[in-house]
Amino acid sequence: MQVEVTIVDGPLPAVRPTCHQHGAGAVLCFEGVVRPLEGDRPIEALEYEVYEPMAPNTLRRLGEEVARAHGLIGVSIEHSRGRVEAGQCSFRVQVSSAHRQEALSAVADFIDRMKQAAPIWKSPIWAQ
Amino acid sequence: MEIHVKLFGPMSRAAGARQVAVTIDAAQATCAALRQKLAESQPALAPMLPACRFAVNHQLAAEHQSVGPGDEVALVGLVSGG
Repeated sequence: MQVEVTIVDGPLPAVRPTCHQHGAGAVLCFEGVVRPLEGDRPIEALEYEVYEPMAPNTLRRLGEEVARAHGLIGVSIEHSRGRVEAGQCSFRVQVSSAHRQEALSAVADFIDRMKQAAPIWKSPIWAQ
Repeated sequence: MEIHVKLFGPMSRAAGARQVAVTIDAAQATCAALRQKLAESQPALAPMLPACRFAVNHQLAAEHQSVGPGDEVALVGLVSGG
């Protein structure tokens, strides 16, 4: 099992296969994109604060925990810091597993854990 | 003894600073004491503190953990990554 964590300035680049896939029967990629609206209020961008190295260390630990819990083959996590415009990707997790169900469950589990534990904060920049 | 506490996100906005200095008794310098002094010295942060923990040198700290002037201390909570 391998867990990769990458913090990127600004929006994430286009998706590419980054998780270890040898022996996989399922590869799942989830992308978090900056919503253009919060309720009815338009958002121009989000500004991400990442407490380093605690945040990438936490993401790696959570990735390892989720990989063990769901029997994953590989996990790759990418997260933005700084400004990301509405519509751009700020978070991506890729997982691989022998069968689809482990991958589907693992992605939801990882995101829940990340939103509770990773020291990352986002602040909206409202559109004028 | 003076401890510098890093602030992020809503805590930073509430305090109007990225870092605040807190003076605590060196003989009783724990995260619990730091929490109490921080609530007193930064009233805007007080309502948020129950939802926060301290990280000492990038590790989440228990309330009884001691802190010293060489430690990097951060208030961690109300996270919203992703």
